[in-house]
Amino acid sequence: MTPESEPIQSGPEAPEAPAGAYIYDLKAAPNRQVELPKTVPLPGLQAYLADQKAALEADEAKWQKQLADYEAKLQALPEGKEAPKPPVRAAAKKDDYDMKTPVPSAPQDADLLRLVELLGERMEEAFEQAGELTCQVAKEHLLEALRICREDKQLKYEMLADEAATHYPAAEGFAFSVVYHLTSLSRHKRLRLRILIPEGFEPESACAVYRNADWLEREIFDMDGIRFAHHPDMVRILCPDDWEAHPLRKEYPVVGWGQRDIDFREDRSGRLARIAQEKAGNLGINLKVPKAE
Amino acid sequence: MFDATDFMEINMGPQHPSTHGVLRLKLKLSGETVMACRPVIGYLHRGVEKICENKTFFQTQVWTDRMDYCSAVANNLGWAESVEKLFGITVPRRAQYIRTMLAEYNRLASHLIWLATHALDIGAMTVFLYAFREREQILDLFESFCGARLTTTAFRIGGLREDFPPGFEKQARAFLDRFPSCIEEYEILLTENRIWKKRTIGVAKLNAEDAIALGVTGPVLRAAGVPFDIRKAFPYAAYAEMDFEVPTRLEADTYARYQVRLEEMKQSARIIRQCLDGLPEGPTMAKLPKILRSEVNEIYHATESPKGELGYYLVGEKGSLNPYRFHVRAPGFANLQALPHMVEGGLVADIIAAIGTLDVVLGEIDR
Repeated sequence: MTPESEPIQSGPEAPEAPAGAYIYDLKAAPNRQVELPKTVPLPGLQAYLADQKAALEADEAKWQKQLADYEAKLQALPEGKEAPKPPVRAAAKKDDYDMKTPVPSAPQDADLLRLVELLGERMEEAFEQAGELTCQVAKEHLLEALRICREDKQLKYEMLADEAATHYPAAEGFAFSVVYHLTSLSRHKRLRLRILIPEGFEPESACAVYRNADWLEREIFDMDGIRFAHHPDMVRILCPDDWEAHPLRKEYPVVGWGQRDIDFREDRSGRLARIAQEKAGNLGINLKVPKAE
Repeated sequence: MFDATDFMEINMGPQHPSTHGVLRLKLKLSGETVMACRPVIGYLHRGVEKICENKTFFQTQVWTDRMDYCSAVANNLGWAESVEKLFGITVPRRAQYIRTMLAEYNRLASHLIWLATHALDIGAMTVFLYAFREREQILDLFESFCGARLTTTAFRIGGLREDFPPGFEKQARAFLDRFPSCIEEYEILLTENRIWKKRTIGVAKLNAEDAIALGVTGPVLRAAGVPFDIRKAFPYAAYAEMDFEVPTRLEADTYARYQVRLEEMKQSARIIRQCLDGLPEGPTMAKLPKILRSEVNEIYHATESPKGELGYYLVGEKGSLNPYRFHVRAPGFANLQALPHMVEGGLVADIIAAIGTLDVVLGEIDR
């Protein structure tokens, strides 16, 4: 006989979490300044193509300027003097490294095409990169997309392997990306669903489709402060219940109170720190020295 | 059905010796029957993901050692392959073989420590001593290869730092020759042992449907009859060239998981022998620039760690030395979520068997 059981709630000692997300107050702790990222490294086919186009245009503009400069020099050249060498267009750098950075390409995989067809307007972007399939769906239609992936006869993604969120403070129009890594055990395929959400938006919990989203979403709430609507138990999981902020946001500092300075006590003249700086400089690493309190 | 006074709420852990670290379970009992169970984790949370976002790609490896400290090489392998996938690096074949071999030795070490502690929890003391005897020799092999026994930091981005030391192959082969008789010893002690069978058969069942819905992977999933092994499904390292089987059982209980893991150890020994026999000549390190600067890219790479699917999710920022996002899908985290489902309705003493059979290591669960 299996007794009917009720899940234990967090208990009276667990304080009620505040309604919104905690945002770290940087002004309150001037010694814990962090440098916020300035770029938005969100992989995508459209962004990649736009980047490529901009780079090509910049290259072409540079070349045109070089040509124009040369022409001007020729014009200004006094009679009888030898003409300067014509400019040579710089070729792309070649190396013999065993490294080929994967770039995004248009969807070709049957699964991705099928999903694009089924989702239609609800799909925002689909591409392949490094052999992985990514499909970005509109944030309101997440549950439908997950259901399609799980229940469609041709797709059959039975398992939610992982769920993770990334904070993009420099982005416009959204603040987080949440990715769902789905696995098809029967067909040995993987697929990534992605949504982009602004600050304060509560995406639907995936628990209705994949039961194991429970803990994964609790971890995302704990680490990034994203609340999921209709989640059975939206409390912290790794940090203590009264922790003051969400650690994986980019504005959360890694240098804290009691952090040991790089100029340790024996190094009064700063010699060791200087050597460390020089070594780091040779390697091209920007070693930031935290200021003493 | 039950009166409120019938229940007793107690805490198990976080300092309970059978919880393999600092796992705390809030239990609601009716007599000896578990009515509800709520795992409380996070006592070992060090913020590995945040730390790794602020380290260069090279520096993050030492943190992967310290997640699942019983299988550091498997963590290193997953990390190295993920970073290589992010950058599109091709690793020489010899390095792939050595990596595969060390990862399989690590599977042996991890399964041995699982067997030792699981049997000890249930009350079979002798197996503990036998299993640790063999594990010690594997750790000696690791030490001769990379200088460390537990936190190995065994690999480098693009290959290996060093080839084998002299004498390594002889030592490795000597271990392999002896190992089948060791497994026989464990089997004599446990497989037909009446107490062992009573404590494990039919205990902490998790059928295939629930296991898939709860995201459970590794031996626990295979003991439920699902032949899903990432080494076969999405081959990485040199596993595509290896000949091995994926053991499965249909009973989906603790005894079936014991059988699956024992069979996996035999298969691991088979893989190691194939690696040693077919070890190709050549370099062990890819040609790479001194400094790796990433492009905009995101990858999820999963490997079959001894505990299940170990996935790394990395996001690269253009021109950056650090990963923009470093996320680990720890197998123990997903497997532990199934614990309430496995123990509710059973006896409180069977919780010990359930924790043991899930093979939890809190270092990777809390990260």
